Amino acid sequence: MGIERRIIQREWRLVMARPGEVLKPMWFLLLVISLIPLALSPDSTLLAEIGPAMIWVATLLAILLNMDHLFKDDYSEGVLEQWLFWSRPFAWCVAIKLLTHWLFYILPLILMTPIVGLMLSIPADVIAVLLVTLLVATPALTCFSGLGGALTLGAARSGVLGVLVMLPLFVPVVILAAGVITRTTDGAGIGPLLALLAAFSLGAAILMPLAIAAAIRLNIGGST
Amino acid sequence: MAWRWFHQWGSPRWFYERASRWQAWAGWIAVILLAVGTVWGLAIAPVDYQQGHSYRIIYLHVPVSFLAQALYLAMAIAAAVLLVWRMKLADVAMQSLAIVGFAFCVLALASGAIWGKPTWGTYWVWDARLTSMLILAFLYLGIIGLRSAMLDPNTAGKACAILALVGAINLPIIKYSVEWWNTLHQPASLTLTEKPAMPASMWVPLLINICGYYAAAAYLVFASMRGLVLHRERRAQWVRELVGAHD
Repeated sequence: MGIERRIIQREWRLVMARPGEVLKPMWFLLLVISLIPLALSPDSTLLAEIGPAMIWVATLLAILLNMDHLFKDDYSEGVLEQWLFWSRPFAWCVAIKLLTHWLFYILPLILMTPIVGLMLSIPADVIAVLLVTLLVATPALTCFSGLGGALTLGAARSGVLGVLVMLPLFVPVVILAAGVITRTTDGAGIGPLLALLAAFSLGAAILMPLAIAAAIRLNIGGST
Repeated sequence: MAWRWFHQWGSPRWFYERASRWQAWAGWIAVILLAVGTVWGLAIAPVDYQQGHSYRIIYLHVPVSFLAQALYLAMAIAAAVLLVWRMKLADVAMQSLAIVGFAFCVLALASGAIWGKPTWGTYWVWDARLTSMLILAFLYLGIIGLRSAMLDPNTAGKACAILALVGAINLPIIKYSVEWWNTLHQPASLTLTEKPAMPASMWVPLLINICGYYAAAAYLVFASMRGLVLHRERRAQWVRELVGAHD
């Protein structure tokens, strides 16, 4: 367990040293959600209707906001190069890093859902389903944003590029999650769709670390 | 045998000279097929009983939509070749295919919008096939954008290859999810497995045009690849002699 624990511990220390990095996306989510009633209308039935979709899109953007420093700091500080010499496969280290990222940065964001859900007067049962879809889908989103971050490590101005490159790949996740939520509000069964969403997430969790590892190796200067 | 084959394809000069011949062939085939197919389709083929003359845009719309998707597949194959055999030429092919594919994608979206106005009464609807074509355009753009942002051209090619492969795995999933989400579009005009619903007088020119656009795409890709090869090899002796550069 040595290496895995060291990656997680290091990440934990970094979070403790700079808690602002965790808070920033949550702050962003709150701000975006507060703008919606101002831009649209304070009418609570309308807000409850479009609220889940809004929260989904805002969470998606907040996750992407985090993408840049998923690998960037580790890359410039040489941490990723050290992983290459560890006794574990590089892709495994990447997977652990993605897991810690999900745990420390994305889980707090998901836990905001009930609060922003109440702000948009979404009924409690829909909030619960929203929470479940986010929990199930975010591993896939984390993996994709990881790939975006890894691919743009060697780019001149990576800022928004990774987001633009990765966003189209989020389409199936968004569609499936939205499908689950509409079915809940319509009172239909959500099991099959949730299973598909989970399958997509699991597939991404298995395959993407390999692609991300290849992308990082490329930018470190080795061969794929 | 195999080694010689690899050696040839690894040589930019050999490719440059061969490709100029292939380009000419593709160009002439495209001109002939497109002339026959387009004249037949626009002037001779019968009028559709529902859509009138407006259906005739399929002789442009269907081939370019075919190609927009086929070129992505070709690009993904080139990406795999690049990652597995590290063939420089595959990188050139990827770069050309991305640009030509994106152009066809935009053409498909534009011709679809123009067709949509008389048929559906609107330029754009959030229909499954339109949406997946739009996403395809975004995927192409992402690959073009990633390449232009990377500092090192070698890294850029391989990064684009990884992205193209991930996109290729994702594309069927995107297609099915979008299809499930919403479907309004008429079903595919031509499939390989079923007899077309249109009469032969309509689909034969369409088939000719599809082949013609394939040839036209090959022409464009070869032209673009040759230009890129020249640019990449601009310091090599044979390119300097070819363009008559003097030190």
